Amino acid sequence: MLSRRRTLTLFVVLCLGHVLLISAQVQSGQGRSVLHDSAFGAVAAVQGSSAAVTQGAGGLWSHYFALVGASRENDELRARVVSLESELQAERARSAAVTALEQALKLQQSVVPPTLAARVIAGSPAPGTLTVTIDRGTSDGVTANMAVISGAGVVGRVIGQPTAHAARVQLLNSKSANTGALIEKTGDAALAAGGFADGLLRLELLSSAANVAVGDRIVTSGQDLIYPAGFVIGQVTAVNGSGKSREVVITPAVNFSHVNLVLVVLARPAQPGGDRKPTGEIKR
Amino acid sequence: MKTAAVVGVVVGSVLLQVLLAQFAIGGRLSFDLVLVGVVFVALQSGPVAGMLAGTIGGVMLDLMSGGLVGVGGLLKTIVGFAAGLMGTRLVVAKPYARALIVGAATLLHSFLSLGLQAAIDKWSGIAWAAMLGETAINVIAAYLAFLAIEALPGTMSRGRTRQRSAWGRRQW
Repeated sequence: MLSRRRTLTLFVVLCLGHVLLISAQVQSGQGRSVLHDSAFGAVAAVQGSSAAVTQGAGGLWSHYFALVGASRENDELRARVVSLESELQAERARSAAVTALEQALKLQQSVVPPTLAARVIAGSPAPGTLTVTIDRGTSDGVTANMAVISGAGVVGRVIGQPTAHAARVQLLNSKSANTGALIEKTGDAALAAGGFADGLLRLELLSSAANVAVGDRIVTSGQDLIYPAGFVIGQVTAVNGSGKSREVVITPAVNFSHVNLVLVVLARPAQPGGDRKPTGEIKR
Repeated sequence: MKTAAVVGVVVGSVLLQVLLAQFAIGGRLSFDLVLVGVVFVALQSGPVAGMLAGTIGGVMLDLMSGGLVGVGGLLKTIVGFAAGLMGTRLVVAKPYARALIVGAATLLHSFLSLGLQAAIDKWSGIAWAAMLGETAINVIAAYLAFLAIEALPGTMSRGRTRQRSAWGRRQW
């Protein structure tokens, strides 16, 4: 049993040790270490196995036992496929017209970035950290800073060094997550930033002269060299104040607590003006 | 409580937290079983064991979550120390009393976390719903765990007695 004085000394020493450790990382700006990556590798393996077991059990239930309503759902899905096929044909026709115009005007060809489907296997073990683990890694061509999207819009980006079969994705509403953004209607550029207690995003660095209203759609600008331009970030749901102190609140298009399947964008946006490296986090 | 038992409780709670992280996608559910483990150790063995358990558990979680290493360690060290001090000053023998200490520890951890985040990065505001939800889940998990731990020695000795008596009957 330690004396009270020794206990207090140990407490102060431990706290100071942690503070020094944090300061060293904040000052050097180095986020990752071999220890980090090894720990993530081990955790991802455990989470992958447990997700396989849980989802296997869930799949057994939903595929064999809980088939009530499956027939009705099947009919609805058939109708949806027909509707989507007709939309696809219209989009193909539009795409052909755009390609023809680009060739006629000698413009750079628009390229649809290649994507890779991935399954979300776990959230972050540390509460309050908004990251998820996906079941794709370096063996599938996933590298750091690749954009991750879903059918609804932008999900986030790959952070850290992925392992062979897993990668960690920072969600767009997490601390220090930012992306270059545009107000679709006006084309005004800004920065969509996460890390707020309400889970919503804020539009920052927006010109005070820019015209923004509730309902405006916010899309990626591609300026951060991570997210390709034109992907939906969300919709403006509140504009508080005016002038320089104006706060623009964006409700993300993606419901981050229900992301199950995502797409990893395997290509980066074109780099205007030389070989700029993606910053990942834009300093505000 | 022996050192091996302290390490076992911390590592076990970290493992459980990692396994259950699939239910915490995007903040769907928020819980901190490592904190429950740290408070348990602190109440069983005092502030020194509490802060050491907090350091080990916090740093392990920091490494696994990819954030700044030391943030979780610092918070859990403080909470482990505080819970240990409370355990030496208050009578917290009953599972519900211990679970209440876990609730207080979760709130302290959340407020310290907000303060530290504001100091390092920016003030993000208080997410009351998430904070209270996490506190409720931690308290329930702690209550069930403490009940199970309290019932364990009795169940084991009853089992042993039953085995002995059955063996006696067989001999007869």
